[in-house]
Amino acid sequence: MMRLLPWVFLCAMAVFIYLPVGALVLFSFQGGALPVPPFNGPSLQWYAEILGDGDLMQSLLNSLMVGAVSSALAVCLGFTAAYGLARHALPGTTLMRGLLIAPLCVSYLIIGLGLLIVVQRLGLGLSLATAGIGHVVINLPICFSIIYASMGAQQQSAERAARDLGANEAQVVLLITVPMLLPAIAAAFFLSFTLSWDEFIISFLLTRFDVTLPVEIWSMLRSGLSPELNAIGSLVFLVSVTLVLALELLLFRRRA
Amino acid sequence: MARNRETMMKKHTKALLAGTALCGLASGAMATEELNALVWCDHTDPALIEPFEQAHDVKVNLREYEGTGAALALLDQSRPGDWDVLVIDGIDVARTAEAGILAPLPDDALPEDDFFSQIVLKDNNAPGGTTYAVTEKFGYNTISYNADKVDPADMQDLATVWSDKYDGKISIYDYYLPVIGLAAMADGIDTGAITAEDLPALGETLSTMRGHAASVAGVVGAQTALATGEVDIVIGGGEWLTAVLAAEQPELTWTIPNQGAVLWTQSIGVLADSEKPDLALEFVKYIVSPEGQARLATSSCFWGMPANELAGDHLTPEQKDILRWDEQDSYLAKAQLYPAPDEGLDIEMQDLWLETLSQ
Amino acid sequence: MTVSRDTLRGWGFAAPALLWTLAFFVVPFAVMAAMSLATLEGRTLIWGLHFDNYRALAEKAYLWRAVLVSVEITLTVTLLSVCLAYPLAWIIAFRVPQRFQRLALLLAILPFWTSYVVRSYAWLLVLAREGVVNKALLTLGLIAEPITLANTRFATVTGFVHFFTMLLTLTIFANLIQLSPNYRRAAMDLGASAFQTFRHVVLPLTLPGIVTGAFLTFVLCIGDYITPQILGGNTELTVPQVIMVQLGRRADFPLAAALAIVLMGIVTLAYLACARWLRLDRI
Repeated sequence: MMRLLPWVFLCAMAVFIYLPVGALVLFSFQGGALPVPPFNGPSLQWYAEILGDGDLMQSLLNSLMVGAVSSALAVCLGFTAAYGLARHALPGTTLMRGLLIAPLCVSYLIIGLGLLIVVQRLGLGLSLATAGIGHVVINLPICFSIIYASMGAQQQSAERAARDLGANEAQVVLLITVPMLLPAIAAAFFLSFTLSWDEFIISFLLTRFDVTLPVEIWSMLRSGLSPELNAIGSLVFLVSVTLVLALELLLFRRRA
Repeated sequence: MARNRETMMKKHTKALLAGTALCGLASGAMATEELNALVWCDHTDPALIEPFEQAHDVKVNLREYEGTGAALALLDQSRPGDWDVLVIDGIDVARTAEAGILAPLPDDALPEDDFFSQIVLKDNNAPGGTTYAVTEKFGYNTISYNADKVDPADMQDLATVWSDKYDGKISIYDYYLPVIGLAAMADGIDTGAITAEDLPALGETLSTMRGHAASVAGVVGAQTALATGEVDIVIGGGEWLTAVLAAEQPELTWTIPNQGAVLWTQSIGVLADSEKPDLALEFVKYIVSPEGQARLATSSCFWGMPANELAGDHLTPEQKDILRWDEQDSYLAKAQLYPAPDEGLDIEMQDLWLETLSQ
Repeated sequence: MTVSRDTLRGWGFAAPALLWTLAFFVVPFAVMAAMSLATLEGRTLIWGLHFDNYRALAEKAYLWRAVLVSVEITLTVTLLSVCLAYPLAWIIAFRVPQRFQRLALLLAILPFWTSYVVRSYAWLLVLAREGVVNKALLTLGLIAEPITLANTRFATVTGFVHFFTMLLTLTIFANLIQLSPNYRRAAMDLGASAFQTFRHVVLPLTLPGIVTGAFLTFVLCIGDYITPQILGGNTELTVPQVIMVQLGRRADFPLAAALAIVLMGIVTLAYLACARWLRLDRI
């Protein structure tokens, strides 16, 4: 009995974790206009509907763009800061580290609200760029800590060797440090992208006409019940899962 | 040292470039003219907007908002020319015009003679005799219900709607003005005459409502609850809530009780500091034209009666049935406008509302 | 006092990120703190040292009740998520065969990649009167007629726990994997029971990981608007919901800012309570 217990628990958890996803995917194939039981289908009409929805597809592209640019920026900033703090003995290192990590301890809503107030006081317009700035703020601490944690002695000796051989600082960073830290940098980018892709409240507060996918989905959700929501949710899930599994198979398998 | 400075410069350039890329995202190079409209969600239906865009070769940028307070704040903080067109609650036109936000509209450009006369509402749309906005759509916040589960006769009396008989079978629509309006009508107070003295009594009525309610829900929440049998009645609902569901579940319907219901109207106007007043006026004219009106009435976000009677020529008999086209005269006779509180009373009403919700 | 070239260079490298954080995090925060002391008269902002917003927090029941509701929900969610995620991570780390470990972990967190707004809404369908849960309970004969699960605090907590269990499974798993099996073996060799080993060896070693994950759960959960808004039925409001109401209906930025500062205060208390074990720079 005690031997079985873990497996029973594992199955129960699997049901719990996959319950909403299952319901979501099932009702995305609903034949009627309402995604509520009983199920009648399967029908692909809602997938056709969302693929033909210009606003939705535009917001999907916007999300990809904001995610990619803001994650790239967060990784660059996180990397330089980690390099600066890990490789140089600086007065006030603890304080600086604390400052860089601080946004982790603050709810997204508060970060978004603060930025909104500032942007409005300055009389600047809201756009995808302001949402992107917000995303860099929330992802910078994560990128910084992932990269900082992976800066160990093994790169340091390689860097020193390169310097002794006459490489300048830029060459050291670009030719030695970055390649050696590539797994951490990739992980930081990937995590940032995931968080940005799914982030709602900052995007909601800081965008104007062009919105990201979660905000578009939210406005769909405000405008009435429809299996379109299930279809777009399932589609996002399908695409993300394919990506995740591809990454897993291509990148991480090879290293293992 | 010099070399380091070079690296530094490179770093900064990189950051700068990334920043520029972020900004570049925002300003897609657009060749066509653009019109910026601050609207309710029924205006975001491509079926309504695209014909105008094609006819005038413009791109209409739409931003949805909820709550007049939020829209006014947004307008306060924007730069001249940020916005051209505004869709707003009919009862809020006067205070918006007083704040100098709206531009006068030429009366001769508006087909108000073709409108249902009860909802032209010149008092609201033309404070001081100058027209600042025009009614574009109207409907009711009343009682939506499931005819298979409740006795339709009970729905004719508000006191029975939120009685013990339907305990836990009720959802309340999540907007304070219409629901407080309904509470006032149940208590025999005119919605336009609510004062601070009435609030304690209205609070009692709201508490009774809330005590019997399973949830307080927005549009999708209320629709889901009705469609799944979670609740059988939505207080504050109406055609805009159930028309979409009626095709699949004809038992979901709505009525106007004997005490009456709250009439909502939405108006559209041009902003005083618009840099494209002519184009903005064209848009307004399109929206109140019979074709625009028919599309707006049956918008994918929510349905409602068109202000322009000629829109009827562009609607199918089924659509007119769902909108209860032929009953409008009797409905309008029983309906009262949203409460229109001043600033101080508005805050008190909101506090009362939130207080009651979180009992 | 000369500053060495090395130090200068280090600062040079750290500067962009520090400036970014200052400009887009610290400054907005300061402005928000100032905003919370302003007041709104009609539609005009009056800056100054007004404590009206904080007074309102004490006086208006729906405001302080929202704070209580937020704290209650967040604590419940954090506790439940840890209790579910720890055994799950444990089983994946020590019971699942090595070659299936990564796959099992991936499967455990896969729904993480469904769009978050839609995920909350999916729970609404699952918990509806006609939903899967009610159907299952009816079939098993555990209930006589459908029970109300959607639009309740239970639904909000369920939606949250679902998300954070996945998140915590990941962080706790990473912690457990780093634990050298020698520790456990040594404890067993010295005659400790399985429970004693866990209590005196494994738990203390993995505590920092758990606490860090739990703290992040606390922060993300208490500031979340979507889940309670979609699942909670609006019958009790959380602080983020009240903030959004203040913004949406009256654009009352001062009151919204004051609520945000209070939220920040609660998070700070939580931080101080578990500061001993937190390893935020080692996620």
